[in-house]
Amino acid sequence: MTLIRNIFQVLVVVSLTFVSTPVSRARMGPVDIKPLFLPEIVIFTSQSPAGVFPEGASPVVIPLKRSGRLFFMEVRIDNQVGNFIFDTGSSKLVLNKTYFRKFIVVDEEEAGGVTGSTEGICRTSVKSLKVADLHFSNLSADVTALGHIEDRRGIKILGLLGLSLLKDLEIVVDLNHNELHLFRLDKKGNRLVTHPQRRFDLVHKVAEHNNVLFVKAKIGGEQLDFCLDSGAESNVLSSYSSKSVLGTVTILKRSGMVGVASGQTDVLYGMMNDFNLGERRFPAMRTILTNLHKMSKSYGMVIDGMLGYDFFCQGTISLNLIRNEMGICFSKVNDIPK
Amino acid sequence: MKGHPFLLNIILLSMLTSAAMGQVSPKEACRIDDGQLVFTLDLQWSPAQKQEVARLFNLDSAVMAGALSGKSIIVSNGVEWKTKKLNARTVELFKPLSDPANGDGFPDDVVMVDDDWAGFTMEPVRESVDWGINKFTRYTVFQYIHGVARFYLPGHLNAKEVYLSGTFNRWSTTQMPMARSDSGWTIKLKLKPGKYLYKFIIDGQWVPAPFNRQYGSDGNIHDNSVVFCFNHTFVLKGYKNAKEVYVTGSFNGWDPRGLRMFKTNYGWVFPMYLREGTHAYKFLVDGVWMTDPLSKMVVADGAGHFNSLIGIGDTVLFRLKGYSSSKNVVVTGNFNGWNAVGLKMSKTSDGWQFPYVLSSGNYEYKFVVDGNWITDPANPYTVGFGATKNSFVAVRANHTFIFEDKAGINSVLVTGSFNGWNRDGYRMVLKDRQWTFPIRLKPGKYTYKFIVNGKWVLDPRNELWEENEYGTNNSILWVEN
Repeated sequence: MTLIRNIFQVLVVVSLTFVSTPVSRARMGPVDIKPLFLPEIVIFTSQSPAGVFPEGASPVVIPLKRSGRLFFMEVRIDNQVGNFIFDTGSSKLVLNKTYFRKFIVVDEEEAGGVTGSTEGICRTSVKSLKVADLHFSNLSADVTALGHIEDRRGIKILGLLGLSLLKDLEIVVDLNHNELHLFRLDKKGNRLVTHPQRRFDLVHKVAEHNNVLFVKAKIGGEQLDFCLDSGAESNVLSSYSSKSVLGTVTILKRSGMVGVASGQTDVLYGMMNDFNLGERRFPAMRTILTNLHKMSKSYGMVIDGMLGYDFFCQGTISLNLIRNEMGICFSKVNDIPK
Repeated sequence: MKGHPFLLNIILLSMLTSAAMGQVSPKEACRIDDGQLVFTLDLQWSPAQKQEVARLFNLDSAVMAGALSGKSIIVSNGVEWKTKKLNARTVELFKPLSDPANGDGFPDDVVMVDDDWAGFTMEPVRESVDWGINKFTRYTVFQYIHGVARFYLPGHLNAKEVYLSGTFNRWSTTQMPMARSDSGWTIKLKLKPGKYLYKFIIDGQWVPAPFNRQYGSDGNIHDNSVVFCFNHTFVLKGYKNAKEVYVTGSFNGWDPRGLRMFKTNYGWVFPMYLREGTHAYKFLVDGVWMTDPLSKMVVADGAGHFNSLIGIGDTVLFRLKGYSSSKNVVVTGNFNGWNAVGLKMSKTSDGWQFPYVLSSGNYEYKFVVDGNWITDPANPYTVGFGATKNSFVAVRANHTFIFEDKAGINSVLVTGSFNGWNRDGYRMVLKDRQWTFPIRLKPGKYTYKFIVNGKWVLDPRNELWEENEYGTNNSILWVEN
């Protein structure tokens, strides 16, 4: 599709689980309207990682594949093997309709509160899922069309996999080396003794809501809420942020039309010059600026922005959902992929 | 130094005025302010600066011109822009931010941005190179014999598992586990001649191949190891007293310093990968150019000399039966830029023929018989209609579209992303109760449909399909390497 329109343009899905279908747009139950997507895939409580993690307590390393600004992991799911986008912005397991169409077991009408859409939601159940040495069984998943991402990246995509399956582990995201490192944790969120704790340049609190993580950051002296979204090809900042926030952002580009359904839409691209986590000021990071009102609704909380590819490439990022902490070891400038 | 007080004053005044008013840089012309998209325009911008603003911010130049000429309201494409003069030099142009119709930051269809945004280059990686050699510092780490490649990773005996991943398996992280040996890890796999990028995955971690000094980018990762599977060895027998022998040709731009041959007991050799197709070459023996004594195929270089020719790939024998009384028959097609004088066919006992080495791919061609263009009467596969109808041949076809015949079907076309959804499609041929069309497709995803008696239908033999923008569906085909 992209090639047909313009070979020199690429599609940027800012949030992969947010586009194209009612299922993907509505990531979880909105607070102010009737709940649509209560989390279904609560697979493991924090007390029950047994059976998931291989014995021996050594860390599991998952090699990530990369295409542009997206990262994939290879997963065996029932009798298929293929690529899943590593998408921390996805609250649940999402499968590509193209390859799971005949396994759809539930097809009900979506309440139209958020999207106004009456399209059905497709779901299915998965008997087994294996990624590296991690095994999961009897999962439920949403099924939606992801063909547009395949077209854009030329890579076969079976689905999206976020943090819902990895909640009780420390997840170290190292996009500069294209690896995920997973560590077993004790009940207090400490790595098991065989793995010494890592020292981070920055440790920052995160809040988890329906398997998606949110952090508070400061721009222009103002505190803002961002969600962490490794499936977003760009950071995103609300174009309705305050003057003090937007005053620190340099707008570099405005795109034209962005699709048939959307009409004339201003999508603006800029540089966040004053992004701060705790006491740490980040180097200038690229961002898209657009309206996030509806995104906030679907997340069930007001969000001011999303931290995507540009953020994750700043260094090695550790996510510990038991401690509700994010640790960052910043990359040397030369390590950051261009 | 003598100064001119009056001139100095003018310069100072001019500098002060300029500083006070401040020239607006085109790059800083845009901002968001309280839900408004605001441009600060400079009346003194040059045409080039105005163009830059129009380009960077997709701003209609007519809207900009209206604002700079003093209009207070400008309507363009149904959007109302307002202006406000800030001072003698600058004007503000603004409108409310346009959100998508559904009130969402991201519309139903995906957001598109320009390729150059954020350094987001999706540079197409050149899929084929003209030639290549390997740069291993330990020769045991890679061998390629009779189409079978053996990769060897020395050491890492404490690793739990090692995988080989590369362009040959679409960078799969799970498909190719290596076997542990006494001294390291090995794997054998069948590979066609060509260039491949690869890495090892040692207990989950990506590692470039040790003892290989050749690296390449796949557009995403830049430290992949590179290996070539060879398909040709240049040989020059004798000349044992020569000090140095090079082979050079059209494949390396006739670089005389390029490929230094290795001395053996019987002469000189140079093993390498050469792209499929026909290449001209010569040897350079101690500075003296010579054609290959072992090759009978030569071609004039246009300067009174000859070059040797080597054909790599499949030889397609173009044949045209009959036309025995014709004087001049040539074959021409997209393989030679449709040059009608290029490929002159030879007369045989029952017609005309021309052997030609072609690389893997799809080709269209026609014969030109004494100036008359005709399709190949012996080839049922054609594309296009009427005057644009050409014969079609797929060299090393890797997929055949098949549609089962039924009563009443008199025409089946296949069309899809591989031919830009050309409505004329590729005309399938009925053979053994199946309509078929063999084709060579590069690895990747394709969407397609059949047009059966003028009606668009999905491929009934293929269970993979997806919705398209027209609310109908397209069949999906993934072509692996």
